[in-house]
Amino acid sequence: MSEPLIALAPSQIAPAEAAWRLPQARAYTERKPLKPDRLDQAVAQVVGLVRAGLAGVSARRYGRIAHDALAQAQAIDALSDATLRERVRGLAGRLRGCTTFRDADITDAFALIREVSGRVSGQRHYGVQMMGAAALLDGRIAQMATGEGKTLTATLAAGTAALAGLPVHVVTVNDYLAERDAELMRPLYAALGLTVGVIKEKQELAERAQAYSCNITYCTNKDLAFDYLRDRIALGQRASDVRLKLESLYTAVNRLGQLRLRGLYFAIVDEADSVLIDEARTPLIISAQAGSQFADDVLSRAMEIAKTLASPRDYAIEASEHRVVFTEAGRARIADLVSGDGAAWRGRVVREGLVRQALSALHLFHRDEHYILRDGKIVIVDANTGRVMPDRTWSDGLHQMVEHKEGCALSSARTTLARMTYQRFFRRYARLSGMTGTTRGVAAEFWTVYRLPVVRIPTHRPLKRAHLPDEMLTDEAEKWKRVTQRIAELHARGCPVLVGTRSVGASARASAYLTGAGLPHTVLSAAQDNAEASIVSEAGQLGRITVATNMAGRGTDIKLGPGVAERGGLHVIMVERQDARRIDDQLAGRSGRQGEPGCFQAILSLDDPLLAGGLIKSGAARRIMALLGHERGQAFGCRLLRFAQFRTERLHARMRADLLRSDQMQDRILAFAGHSE
Amino acid sequence: MSQSLFSQSWYRVAALRPRLRRHAEIHRQSFRGEIWYVLQDHQTGRFHRLSPSANLILCLMDGRRTLQDIWERAARRNEDDPPTQDDTIRLISQLHGSDLLQGDLPPDLAELAERAESTARRTLMARVKNPLALRFALFDPDAILDRLAPFYRPIFSLWGLAVWLAVVIAGLVVAALHWGELTGDVANQMLSAQNVALMLCLYPVIKALHETGHAVAAKAWGGEVHEVGMMLLVLFPAPYVDASSSAAFPSKWQRMMVAAAGIFVELFLAGAAAIVWALAEPGLVRAAAFNVMVIGSISTLVFNGNPLLRFDGYYIFADLIEIPNLGSRSNRYFFYLIERYVLKIEGTKSPVTANGERPWMLFYAVSAFVYRTTVSIAIASFIATQYFVFGVMLALLALVGTVVSPLVKGIRFILSDPKLNGRRRLAMTVTGAAGLAAFAILFVIPLPYTTMAQGVVWVPDDTQIRTRTDGILTNLLVQPGRDTQAGEALAKLEDPSLDSRVAVLQAQLAELRLRYDAARLGDRVQAQILQEQITSTQEILRVYSERQAGLTVRTEHAGRLIVPGAVDLPGRYLRRGERIGYVLTADDPVVRVVVPQTDVDLIRNRTQGVAARLAERPEEVRVGAIRREVPGAQQEIPSLALATQGGGTIAVDASNPQKPIALQSIFVFDVQLAGGLPFNVLGERVYVRFDHGSEPVAWRVLRSLRQVFLSQFRV
Repeated sequence: MSEPLIALAPSQIAPAEAAWRLPQARAYTERKPLKPDRLDQAVAQVVGLVRAGLAGVSARRYGRIAHDALAQAQAIDALSDATLRERVRGLAGRLRGCTTFRDADITDAFALIREVSGRVSGQRHYGVQMMGAAALLDGRIAQMATGEGKTLTATLAAGTAALAGLPVHVVTVNDYLAERDAELMRPLYAALGLTVGVIKEKQELAERAQAYSCNITYCTNKDLAFDYLRDRIALGQRASDVRLKLESLYTAVNRLGQLRLRGLYFAIVDEADSVLIDEARTPLIISAQAGSQFADDVLSRAMEIAKTLASPRDYAIEASEHRVVFTEAGRARIADLVSGDGAAWRGRVVREGLVRQALSALHLFHRDEHYILRDGKIVIVDANTGRVMPDRTWSDGLHQMVEHKEGCALSSARTTLARMTYQRFFRRYARLSGMTGTTRGVAAEFWTVYRLPVVRIPTHRPLKRAHLPDEMLTDEAEKWKRVTQRIAELHARGCPVLVGTRSVGASARASAYLTGAGLPHTVLSAAQDNAEASIVSEAGQLGRITVATNMAGRGTDIKLGPGVAERGGLHVIMVERQDARRIDDQLAGRSGRQGEPGCFQAILSLDDPLLAGGLIKSGAARRIMALLGHERGQAFGCRLLRFAQFRTERLHARMRADLLRSDQMQDRILAFAGHSE
Repeated sequence: MSQSLFSQSWYRVAALRPRLRRHAEIHRQSFRGEIWYVLQDHQTGRFHRLSPSANLILCLMDGRRTLQDIWERAARRNEDDPPTQDDTIRLISQLHGSDLLQGDLPPDLAELAERAESTARRTLMARVKNPLALRFALFDPDAILDRLAPFYRPIFSLWGLAVWLAVVIAGLVVAALHWGELTGDVANQMLSAQNVALMLCLYPVIKALHETGHAVAAKAWGGEVHEVGMMLLVLFPAPYVDASSSAAFPSKWQRMMVAAAGIFVELFLAGAAAIVWALAEPGLVRAAAFNVMVIGSISTLVFNGNPLLRFDGYYIFADLIEIPNLGSRSNRYFFYLIERYVLKIEGTKSPVTANGERPWMLFYAVSAFVYRTTVSIAIASFIATQYFVFGVMLALLALVGTVVSPLVKGIRFILSDPKLNGRRRLAMTVTGAAGLAAFAILFVIPLPYTTMAQGVVWVPDDTQIRTRTDGILTNLLVQPGRDTQAGEALAKLEDPSLDSRVAVLQAQLAELRLRYDAARLGDRVQAQILQEQITSTQEILRVYSERQAGLTVRTEHAGRLIVPGAVDLPGRYLRRGERIGYVLTADDPVVRVVVPQTDVDLIRNRTQGVAARLAERPEEVRVGAIRREVPGAQQEIPSLALATQGGGTIAVDASNPQKPIALQSIFVFDVQLAGGLPFNVLGERVYVRFDHGSEPVAWRVLRSLRQVFLSQFRV
């Protein structure tokens, strides 16, 4: 399980002074949680596989919608602004009148929005964007190649749904993107008569409620989920529609007035694979301060004991699952060591828990990899993105143990108030949809978990990206030598280069080698702010060298500078395989956008972190590669790494499935305690 | 899974203020020297076994304390091994699942409805899965039993025991005295059509008394009995009583007594019946008594008293060795052993809670599984022979229950159980190897394949020496064991009446001739009559003379004379056609083997070698070959030695005393043994082994299965 994302509990909630609006038909709409039994689950798995295979077929209907909408273009083009507004209002009335979107209405809506967009910003949607938008309205995942203009695509679907009266949440992966997209599209929405809200960090309740009360709200997945979680705390148990409405009748300060969201109606999730699949394992927790669970001396004693234990004899470290497992001998040894240590140590579960956390702190969590020290405090670093997460803590005394190890002042422990996962959250949307560049290997999972079918949308222009064959080198040093050599070559030609790494550490190493070779370059720290996005968007300029993790500047278009296209476009070099092939594809998708030329190349080594703990150790692999000769050795190495990647993908998929299952089981067991948030 | 004191879900329950509902009652019991608490749910009649720490938590739940408070108190009280939060949550949720909790939250109706639905579905599934033991509740006898209490309560006293013992012992003594009579032909008597009808009448009555025993015993010690019903056990109706309230009794002897009460009742009935049987005149009463005796003793002890089946015996046994839930915990222990030692999963929880439980559990898990599987398959095949479609369905169901579903569960466990994360490769290797080994043993490795049969030493009919006329054998002319020539006289018979008869006839003939001479000239008519008489007498005389010649027994072939029991022969009166002995050449005696239909094809087509052992000299194996086979099936068996009555394997029709007729068609083979057979073992039993080379086991099973289908169902 990933380390949980923890946010602090909301302080005293002041009643919101939201503008008066029409009361909602249902208070706080959300979909009833799916309670599938085993048969449902088995069927869903089969259907998921079938649907994943049919991803290309269902696009036809959307093609027809796009075609019809484009056919109206000329007629609408001739309309005056006033008539156009009139038509939009008429359409809104029609849309509100029915519960489902009819193809004819969608066609009209798309044609109108396209024209409005054209008049406001000069951007008229392409056919494929309309296809994508139609899929979104249909509650599907639109798989669109990177650079196909997903932001613009979303406006069609969001605009249509908002005109139909549904509160729309457009979910992006970071604050910067949310704000940028909202500002970019605000004029279009305004012209349609729709309001747009943006959720940012550090907004207060009233501001948030205000933003969520807009027709269309741009937000990040994290903010959205936490806001929902806080709402659930405010709602408490027994928050049925009727209860809430009755309550609002007889009290002035009622629960409905303390909410941020209006309910979960329609969400368009950008980078759906990242949000719905990769981050699915991250538990979201709202916690409150609580006194420390363990005294200082207990922690230090645990550390002491942990240091006397030896690895194969007393415990084993399961690197793949990031945990420590004791052997029988280890258990006996701990019992032996603490025999004179007083009450806190008498319980077997307690003492083993303490020592386990101590061992984890010592051997599984490393400074500058999993956390950094800042102002005498432990700050956790996100393993996926390399971002620092100041508001996160580890649970069950682990945080205190790490603080103890680093000699920091012990922070107080936190108790959980509410907890959920993205899996649970997004399944509650009455209508969920998403966009992503690639769904390779997870299309079936989209169906089984979220009941989201995937639709493959064709590209607007044919792809002109070249894939050079993967290169496999025997070790890390060799690899970097080859990488710098290759970059120098490309740099000399003036080709912009993007080096994609897996972690911040690898980025730093790449930077060191490039500096050594005297190559000017920029390193992205995945801070995900304005500056980062602008650096990424500059990465396409002549002669640029940019080093970034896969997450850095996600969603940002890398536009080619003048003269770059003639030199072969952006050249992407991958130096480490990612956790999933899908993420490799994302990296490759950084180049060759919208029919531009581009090149992708992977330069890898047998020291790749994915191979650690695999079937064949890197030493053995090296010998086999040498035995097989150059050509077959390369093929073998690449296969080996692909297989390791496949294993990792499968492991993660299984962990996600386990999490969902244990979540559901917990829910069943704890049914008497009300719902979990 | 690593165990932690804290639970991530604790926040959801920490603030609850639960309380045990009023209808739940806690009883203190001791098992193997350890204290346990049994929570009795009077509403559903179910029981939950609680450890002392769980009991503490339960007792602290008063509706005012929060669960957080309760847990902290419990942890403080049990510093050595505090209950983890997860344990507590599990306990609470189990209690909630049994509707034993009352909380400060209003009940979630949707959840209640869902739970009720799933319970109903489970009950239905249990019925579908186990159609051989359907239960139908009829009424609540508690009030009636209360009213009848004065009548049965005195039974549960020393006096009651004394009376019971007296009757049972008397019955035993009677049975012992009449042992031979009793066991004479039990099988035949029991299964005759008339008796089956009688038994069908008696069985429900006896079983009803049996169940009354349970109910009365449970009531006698303060339990409650709220359900009486009818159970279709293997489609046969039998009454049942829910006396499970006895699980709350503090004394294990009382609990055992309630479980054993049914058997006690039946033994009492059997004892009384034995006495009646001994005293009564033959007739209906005696037959009924006999049946009661058999049902009440043998069937009860074998069926109800058997701990391997989930009947009375199981509960008695579990209480006796003080291992509650023996069955399910044994199975869990078995899987625990596999997980812990074969798959090496660290941290699996053992279901063992007390010393000395391990061997019992292991033994019980294995033997009960084997026994139940065998019984269920036997029952299914028995029913299949009676009602084809239904039986085959049942057999398939039994197969699914005993083989397929555990297999599927096991495979699913190996493939996807999170417990195996990190160890899956080992698990797959181990199970793969085991599976492969099983596959190899069943399908690949050829094992010696033979058919065993019995035969008798047999000689061809024409080698037998038989008398051609009645007479007393005076002496053998050739010493038995000596070689004879064709036509040689072997024995001399004597028939004094024959000689005198011949003499009389000769005298008569002479007289007739004289009279004829006298009458020839005078009375032509008379002469004609006499002539006829002479011819007739001559004819008679010729016949008698021939008989007289027949008194000297001759052989038609050359060979060695074998006369079984030659010493006793002289002086014996032999009827015409009776066998004196044999004149045999060295390769005359063969082994005549009788095989049932199922084996005939194999023996005909795949016999690669034949070996035989004589019953007289079993240590000596002799090689042989099939010399002749009778192509058609027959019912007659060549020798009574081969019938079940004679110690053989062929069942014969007992209703036909003249001729031994096999109940099923048999086939006959003559096997010639190398080196011939000694002449002194004629008619003796021979064990013959037909060798069919080697074949993997599975094919044989398939073949015999096909044969079963062919013979039983004609499909």
